[in-house]
Order: sequence, then C-alpha cells, then structure tokens
Amino acid sequence: MNSIDAKLSALLRESRRSPSLPPRFQENVWRRIEAAEGPVKSGSWLEALAALILRPRFAFATVTALVLVGALLGTYQGAQTTRQNEQARYVALVAPAPLR
Amino acid sequence: MNRPVFILLGALAVAAAVFAGSYFTSQRVCVMTMSRSADDLSWLRDEFHLGAAEMARIRQLHEGYQPQCAKMCALIAAKNSEVQAILGHGTNLTAAGQRKLTELGELRAQCQAQMLQHFIAVSQTMPPEEGKRYLAEMMRVTLGSLEPTGQPMSGDTGHEQLH
Repeated sequence: MNSIDAKLSALLRESRRSPSLPPRFQENVWRRIEAAEGPVKSGSWLEALAALILRPRFAFATVTALVLVGALLGTYQGAQTTRQNEQARYVALVAPAPLR
Repeated sequence: MNRPVFILLGALAVAAAVFAGSYFTSQRVCVMTMSRSADDLSWLRDEFHLGAAEMARIRQLHEGYQPQCAKMCALIAAKNSEVQAILGHGTNLTAAGQRKLTELGELRAQCQAQMLQHFIAVSQTMPPEEGKRYLAEMMRVTLGSLEPTGQPMSGDTGHEQLH
C-alpha cells in the first residue's frame, strides 16, 4: 500500500513541474524584503515626503489636526458672521434704509 | 506621472477637502445655532453686555419707537413718490418740484432727529461707557453715510420686511 502511495506521489510530482525561476530570483526577493522593512532611503526629498505621508500614524494625526483647526476657525467665523447679521438686523429696524 | 508627486498631490487634495469640510460645516452649524436663539435686540445684549433689567427697559423703548419710525418712513415714502411724480414729467425743476424736495428734506430731518432721540434714550439706559460706545456706533452706521455719496433714496420705506 505504501509503495503504491509513493509511486503515485512521484507520478503526481512529475506531472506538475513548476516553471523554472528567473535568474537570481531568491536574491531579488530578499533585497525587496529588506528594502520594505528598512528605514526610508532618501533618494530624493519628494520620495521621503511621500513615504512619510503614507504612514498611517502621520496621516491620522494630520487629518485630526486639520479637522480641529477647521472647526475652530469655522466656529470663530460663524460667530463673527452671526454678530454682523444681528447688528444689521437691529440697524435695519431702528434706521431703515431711506434714513441712511 | 511620478509616484511621489502623485501621492503628494493626492494628499494635498484630501487635506484641503478635510479642512474645507470641517470649516464650512462648523461655520454653518454655528450660524444656524446662534441665529435660532437670536431676536431683534440680541446684538445689543451681546455687544454691550446688558443685563435683564436693562434689556427690559430697552425693549420697552424699542417697541415704543417702532410704530413712530414706521409712520415716518411711510410719510417719507409717500413724499418721495410725489417728488418723483413731479420731477418725472419735465426736464427742468419747477417751483412745485422744489417745494416737494424741501418738504421731503424736512421729513427726513424730522425722522433722523426722532431716530437720534431714540438712540440717546437707549444709550442712557446702558452703563455710561457702553452707552457712549453704543451712541458712537449708531452714529457711525446711520449718519456716517449722509455725505453726498450716501445711498440713493427709493420708494422703499425699508419697513416692508420688518413690520
């Protein structure tokens, strides 16, 4: 029974031959793994900046800061606009346009 | 396009969208929330830091002044129509036209005097420093544009949407 299994396995291996790998395949794979895991090499400042932007922690912090600053400025501007509208409303009531 | 440039442009676009969304949303929410609780005299209360007793007195003055103001504005609008009817017919200024213009000027002067009287009464209701500031601000926004380049008169009394 075991010899039949061994023969069958050999036959199956023969029938599914894996394609031959390109030259220096293993070396290239290791080089890419090292490049991905290692620190960002500053080939150019643009690439370094792009790499920084793609880091989730940096992206999250930037978005949070933008939302906060936008909300603060928007609230301040909204309060100013409301105050101006209220003043215009009062002035229109006590001093209608023909008098101004 | 170069990959880093593409990433930077994309990041800038996303950042601008996030900032603009946050800014305009909070601005709109703020205006809506604050406007909902505002009445005609809210500006006075907030700008001049007035208490409930001062506001009650000012509200009384305001309600007393409104009908007088509306009446004067209606008279001015009527006189303005008369002036336009007379001046619209000819190419020169007749004695009748001149008389109507004088009457219109007198009406406006009366109305402005009444308005100033109201401002003074309101300012006297406030604490002295705030009263001075109120009077100066009201003079600035109302009489500040009485120079020859001021707003042109129209048939609009300015009260149609207010009363």
